[in-house]
Formats: sequence, C-alpha cells, structure tokens
Amino acid sequence: MVRIDYVTFTETLLQYFFVVGLSPLFAGIFHRAKSMVESRKGPSIFQPYYDLAKLFKKETLKPAGSGIIFIYAPYVGFGIYSLISLIIPVLIPVPIYFTASADFLGGAILFSLAAFVKVAAAMGSNSNFSALGVSRMLSFNFLSEGTLITVFFAVSLITGTNNPYTTNLFLASNPLQNISIVHIFSTLAFFMLFLYETGRIPLESAGLQELGMIDEAVNYEYSGKLLAINKWNSYIKQYLLGSVLLNVFLVPWGLNAGSPWFLLDVPMMFAKWLLLIGIVLIIETTLAKLRLFRVLDYLATAFTFSILFLIFTEVIA
Amino acid sequence: MSAFGEVLLLPLSSLILITAFYMQGQEFIRPMIRGQLVQSILLAAISLIMGFITGDYDFIILAVLIVVLRGFLITYFLERGIRKDQSHLHERQVSVAYLFIISLVFVLTAVLIVYSVVFSGIRTESITGNRGILVFPLALFFQGLFLIASRRTTYAQIMGYIEEENAIVLFAVFLLPIPLLIEASVFLDVLALVVISSVVVVEKFTHERVEELRG
Amino acid sequence: MSTAFILVFLTMLLPLLSYLGSLSRVPRLDNAISLSNVAIALFLYEFIPLSGTFYVDFTTWVFILMVTSIHLLSQVYSKSYFRKQEIWIGENLFNLLLALFTTSMLFSLEINNIGLMWVGIEATTISSALLLMTEKTETSAEATWRYIVIVSAGVTFAFFSIILIYYSTGTLELSSVLAMKVVPSLTLNVAVAIALIGFGTKVGVFPVHTWLPDAHSEAPSPISAMFSGVLLPTALYVLYRIYEIDPMRNLFVWAAVVSVIAASLFLGYQTRYKRMFAYSTMENMNLALIGLAIGGEYGLFGALLLLLSHSFGKAGAFYSSGSILRYTGAKKIGEIQGLWKSMPVTSSALLMSSFAVTGTPPFGTFFGEFLIFYSLFSIHYYAQLILLLFFVMAAFISVNYNVTRMVFHGEGEKKVEEDSVMSGLALLSSAIPLLIGVIYVVMSIVAL
Repeated sequence: MVRIDYVTFTETLLQYFFVVGLSPLFAGIFHRAKSMVESRKGPSIFQPYYDLAKLFKKETLKPAGSGIIFIYAPYVGFGIYSLISLIIPVLIPVPIYFTASADFLGGAILFSLAAFVKVAAAMGSNSNFSALGVSRMLSFNFLSEGTLITVFFAVSLITGTNNPYTTNLFLASNPLQNISIVHIFSTLAFFMLFLYETGRIPLESAGLQELGMIDEAVNYEYSGKLLAINKWNSYIKQYLLGSVLLNVFLVPWGLNAGSPWFLLDVPMMFAKWLLLIGIVLIIETTLAKLRLFRVLDYLATAFTFSILFLIFTEVIA
Repeated sequence: MSAFGEVLLLPLSSLILITAFYMQGQEFIRPMIRGQLVQSILLAAISLIMGFITGDYDFIILAVLIVVLRGFLITYFLERGIRKDQSHLHERQVSVAYLFIISLVFVLTAVLIVYSVVFSGIRTESITGNRGILVFPLALFFQGLFLIASRRTTYAQIMGYIEEENAIVLFAVFLLPIPLLIEASVFLDVLALVVISSVVVVEKFTHERVEELRG
Repeated sequence: MSTAFILVFLTMLLPLLSYLGSLSRVPRLDNAISLSNVAIALFLYEFIPLSGTFYVDFTTWVFILMVTSIHLLSQVYSKSYFRKQEIWIGENLFNLLLALFTTSMLFSLEINNIGLMWVGIEATTISSALLLMTEKTETSAEATWRYIVIVSAGVTFAFFSIILIYYSTGTLELSSVLAMKVVPSLTLNVAVAIALIGFGTKVGVFPVHTWLPDAHSEAPSPISAMFSGVLLPTALYVLYRIYEIDPMRNLFVWAAVVSVIAASLFLGYQTRYKRMFAYSTMENMNLALIGLAIGGEYGLFGALLLLLSHSFGKAGAFYSSGSILRYTGAKKIGEIQGLWKSMPVTSSALLMSSFAVTGTPPFGTFFGEFLIFYSLFSIHYYAQLILLLFFVMAAFISVNYNVTRMVFHGEGEKKVEEDSVMSGLALLSSAIPLLIGVIYVVMSIVAL
C-alpha cells in the first residue's frame, strides 16, 4: 500500500489545475499586450475564457461522412496534453505523481501523438480545406519533429540524463552550463520551434486567411463544443512548450518545492511568462510574415543549428 | 587557459559557421559578400585572442593581415564587379531548406569520417587545449566545398573558395601557426585569384552544363 | 652566393626577361633568351645535387629541363598561332602571363620549402587561368572557371597536408624533412593521403580530374601543350616530394591504376581530338605516378623517361592539333578526313606524336612505360600490372585508331598552305621522343 504524500499530492493537483485552468489566460494576456503595442484597446485578458464558454454553449455540427475519430479526437488530445502537463516541470521543479510515466523523449513523442490524432481527425472530416491544412502541417512537421527530438537530445547530452527534472536542477545549479554553445544553440532552435508550434507571426498569422493558415485550416470543420476543446488543447500546448522553454532553456532558476514554498511557483511562472510574452511580442511586431514555402526554410535553419551543434559538442567534449 | 579559450573561442567559431550557413542560404550577391567580410573579421578576432593567450606576435600580425587582405581588399574587388544599379543581383531558385539539409548531411558525414579516422592520430593537445575544436575548421572547409558544388553563380563559388581558405587559416591557428612568410604568400595568392576571378565574373555570371564539355 | 644558386635563380628570372625582350624592338630577342634558359637548365646538370635555398637533384633537373624547353617551344609557336587571331587579353598581357606561368612552375620545382611549393602551385593556377580564356568563347569561359574553381579548391585541400607535415616534423624545409627519415605516423599518413587528393586534382587523379579535359580542349594549343607537357608534371613533382616523406605505396599505386583505367575508358568514346589528347595526358601522368611511387632504379628512371618524352610528344600533338583546328575549324574527329593529302607535314607530326604519347616502340615513352611495368613486376604487384597492361593497350588502340582515321580515312580537301613554323615545331616536338628512345637504346647497348 502506497502511502499518500500530501505535499506531493497537493503539488500534483496544483500543477494540473494551473496548467489546464490558466493556460487560456496567458493567451489572453498576450493578445491584450499585443493590442497595446499596436495602440489598440484590445480585448480583455479573459477573452479566451469567454470564447470557450460561448463555444461550449453552441451547437456542434458534424460534417457528413466524418467518422468516429472526428468526434473523439479532441477528447483524446485533451487527455494526452493532461498527461504531458503532469510529466514535465512546468510549475513544480520536483517530480510529482505521474512524472515517472515518461521522460523528455516520451514527452516529445506524446506531443507527436497529439498532433497525429489531430491530423487523423481532420482527414476524417472529408473536407478539402482540412486536407490542405493537413498537407501543409505535415510537410513542415517532418522538420519540426526532428528539431524537437534533437533539442531534447542536446539537453540530455549536457546533463547526462533524459529526466527533465534533473536537467532543470542541473542547469539551475551550474550557471556556466547555460552559456555552453550547445545550450545556446538548442535554446535558439527550441525558441524557433516554439514560434512555429504556437503559430506566431513570422510563420503563421492567426486568423481565417486561407493563404497563410496552417493550424486554423486543420480545425476548420470543427464547431461548438468540439472546437472549444480543440482550442483549449492549443492553449495548453502553448503553455507546455513555453514553460519547457522557460524552465529548461531560458531561465531555469527560481522554482521552489516543498510546502508551502511551492505556492511561490505560481507568481514565479507568471513573471517568467511575462518575460516570454515580451520577447515574442518584440518578434511579432518587428518581423513580417514569411511566405508559406519559406516556413520550410525557417524550420530547416532551426533543425540545422540544433543538430550541428549537438554533434559538435559531442565531439568537443 | 583552456577554460578561458573555450569560453571565447567556441562561440566565435560557432559564429563563423553561422556566417557560412548564412552565405549558403543567401541568394543575393551583395549580402553574401558582406557575410564573407564578417567571417573574415571573426577569423581575425580569433587570431587576435590566440595571440593574447599564447603571447605570440605572429598571431597578431596574422590578424592584421586577415583584416586588410581578406576583409577589405577582397571585399573591394568583389564589390567592384557589381554596378551601382545591380544591388538586386541574385541567383534564382536557391532553396534554403533543401540546401541546408543536404549540406548538413554532407558536412557531418565528412567531418565525422575525417574526425574519426584522421584526428585520432593527433594525440597531443593543440594550443587551445582541446583538439576537438579542430572540428570547426573542418566543417567550415566542407561547407565551403558544398557551397561551390551547390551554387551556380560565379560569385557564390568564389565565396566558397574564400571560405575554404578561411578554414585553412582557422585550422592552422588552432593547430599550430605556420611560418608567417608562407601564411602571407598564401594570402597574396588568394587575393590574386580573386582578382583573376573577378575578370571571369564579368564574362560569365552563372554556370550550367555545357554540351561541348561533357564526357 | 654560389654559381649554382645564381644559375637556379637565373632559370626563374629568364622567362621574365624574355617577356621584357618581347617588348623591345630587337626581333626574336625573347626566343633567344628562352633558348639560353634551356642551355642554363642543361648546364645546371653539372651542379646537382644541390641543396640550400633551392633543392635540385637529378629528378628536379629533368623537370626543369622539361619546363624550360616546352616554354621555348610554346613561346615560338604562339607567335604564329596568334598571328591571324586576336588575343582577347592583349598580346603583352599574354606574354607576361606566360612568363609568370613558367616562372611559378620553376619556382615550385626548385624551392626548398614545401609551403612555398604550395604557393608556387597556386601561383601557376592564377597565372594560367587567363591564358585559357584567350579565345573568349562561352565554352572557354566556362572551362576557365571550372579550372579555377576545381583546381584551387583541390589545392586548398592540399594545404591541410602542409600544415600536418609541419605539425609532425616541425619544419617545412624539404631537404631537412627528407633527411629526417621520419617514422610514418598516422598524422603523416593522413597528410600524404590528403596531398594525393589535393595535388592530385592538378595531376589528374580520378575522380578529381574533371577540369582537365575541359581546360585542355578549350585552351589555345600552345597553352594546352604547356598544361599537358609541364604543368601537370610540376604538380606531380610536388606530390612526389610529399610522397617521399612517407611513402604510402599501396594507396598511390592503386589510385593511379584506377585513374589509368578511368582515363582509358573515357578515351574510348571521345569525339573531339583535343579532349582525347587530354585524357591521354591523364593516362600518362598516372603511369608516371606509379613509377614515382614504386621508385627504385627502374620505377623512378622509367617515370622520368616517360615524363620527358611525353611532354615533347604531347606538345607535338597539341601543336599539330592547333594547326588542324586553325585550317579546318573542326573540333570533332569525325569532321576531319584525309589529312595526309591536305596537310602532309602536320599530319605526319600528328601521327608521330600520337605514337609517342601512347608508348609505341621505339619512342622514349615506350621504354618509360616498359620500365614502370617491369618495376611493378619486380615488387610483385601482379593484379595492378595485368589491369594496366590491358587498359594501356585499350588506350593505345583508341587514340591511334582515331588519329589514323583523321589522317588516312577518306578524301581530303585540297592541299592547304601550311604555316612552316607551326608544322615544323609540331614535327620537331614529336621527333624528340623518338630521339630520346633511340638514345636510350644506344646507351643501354653501350652499357652492356
């Protein structure tokens, strides 16, 4: 009989509900901040919640001929992201329950699985528009997935382990490692990847323009409750990737464990996210959107850097 | 010294490689020439740092030579060939993603083969205290070779050649400095070759297959 | 300063003086100076071996003799060749570059420093690049560019080898590196292997030979003769010197055998005669490389005999090709018929030089090849020997079949007025290998 450790139990609950509950908020903050930079008043920071609430109330339409995957995919996706949010250090810097389910690589594979389910569902909707989005997404993803895995390899090279918590601890306690070239370049590559995966401006402009849309096209046939869940999934995914970027690559410091200090992690994560939002804002407002086929060049650059410096560091060390 | 060397030299060497990839992916000619300029100046900086670390004046003279001959004269001769109204001069259909991936495969395979076969022989440590750093000049060399092979404009191919020469200098700086007289003659040779090439540039801007020159 | 130093220095200086002579009003002063350079080169024999600033032994001497003689021949020939044709870069610049080209070749041969040898080889590329483009056609510009890019990329690679030699021996002075008798280490092995690829680009080792046929076929004939006759041997000499530091015999012999096979296969389907001769050069260079790599009494002497005879023979081949190109305007073998009627002197020179470069007895090349084969046999490299015999025979048939077809097949046009200097020089150059062969036979009999 396993004795329940109440501190860990609370940490687990806190992390899960923080990720699932507050991830739309960060998207809202981002949109608000962007409007302010563009001299607009902008929506409230709670707008994503209003959107979700509205969509949950609406009728769900199912395209003719779409199968069972189409209906269940958003739920499966939600489940996968829930699991990921428990196994990587996105709030609490020590292992919590479920952490042992997978390591860094496992996390990466779960991300891929979620993407696969989404693609399968979009293809099941029998819509040309979704098929367009899927073909775009897949022709880019072969590079982004490669980069993701390479970056995680690079991290495990530095620390000698595939455990994200050990990595976080190691980087926080060895500041010099943060300026080793493999760390710098894997951070760069992961940041480029983050921009792509969350559909930020040099790659994709969120909105319903056919020319540049990737992710929106995949979601095109969804409506009502299913669309709401899909959108929520995207928020969670954005939060998860951003937090990995922050806690493992950019600023590994400042997280606490143990009662009651873990409560301090909540404002800490807010502070870190404000930093990230600031950086992304600068990029979004200064760069122009790339033409669609240039996205491939962008991802190839990220991939090249990550793999080149990964291997060089292995040789130099 | 080795820690100090690594902290400064590794990022600089990495930046040199990044300029190499920048030139590989750049389709406009003028920015490519600027990329070459930046690469040469980074090279001079590395030579200067090595000079301070080892206290050998040859490195410092070498740095000055690089800046003057590589940085300024070669850039001058290359840019002279481009008229004022030709600042848009570029090569068509440079596919960055394709080139990067192929280049990556080529460079890594070559470097790993060379490295595993060849440099297991260099037992003693190089001046920088870490013989692994020789990977950078090797990668730069093969990247230059790939630049020559993959692009069709005369300019891009000259750039690839200069990149190779930079790789040689970097290699010599990291392994051991060769006599300055020879180094200087090498620089003059390269300069002369660039001058000769700038004549060819005027005659032939791109290079395709020629039926008469087959087999 | 010893007499020998001054003599060696003079050999490098005289090509430049002959350029100055071409500027003066005195007729044929430049040719006289070049001729005296040949005489000095011959006279240098009294002072070998010589080591100091310059390093000249018997091997070097043979190469110096080749360079000065072919320079003289090409200088005289180019006067007539360009009489009716404008030189794009101007006659003065052409003469200056030709002089610099010769000087840089002599410099790479004579200097006693591996690093400066490299510089000299690079300088030959620079000085000869524009010589290739004298006719300024689209194809010649392309060939020039390929020459510049491929050769300089390869030679740059060879600089790794120089650095590694310096790293493992601590000096670049050739005589002291050779005297050191260094124990072969992995680093040295790598250095020599890199030199094979790097300098091999200029020698014409498969698969880095690709610039060679383009450059030879597009260059004006006197320049093709210089390329084939002396530039490639000069690069071969530098490669040989580096090889001597750490002989990796198996690698070199196999690389050369593969190159001979490749050249012989390429020879099989050539449709342009200058390209055909270019591949024949590649074959001969690699045969000589085998000889040099095996060394010893037979190998080394055979290689030198082959190179010396080949340089004159190939010069004759390109000189007669130049005349044919001038009078027929045709570049393809199939377009030329019945030369023996229209151009009797040139066609006999062509026939003789083609026999010379393919190693027909009693030309000097035959004895050179024979000695190389014998040396292969003596160190029990049977597989290589059998392959070589087969493919050298194939190359012999390809070249001579094409040449005899050009000379004897079909009815020729009406007889043309041959330029006496051009055809005479072609005949002279192709006769010299025969003379060398005869001298060799006579001397062997006397020695018996």
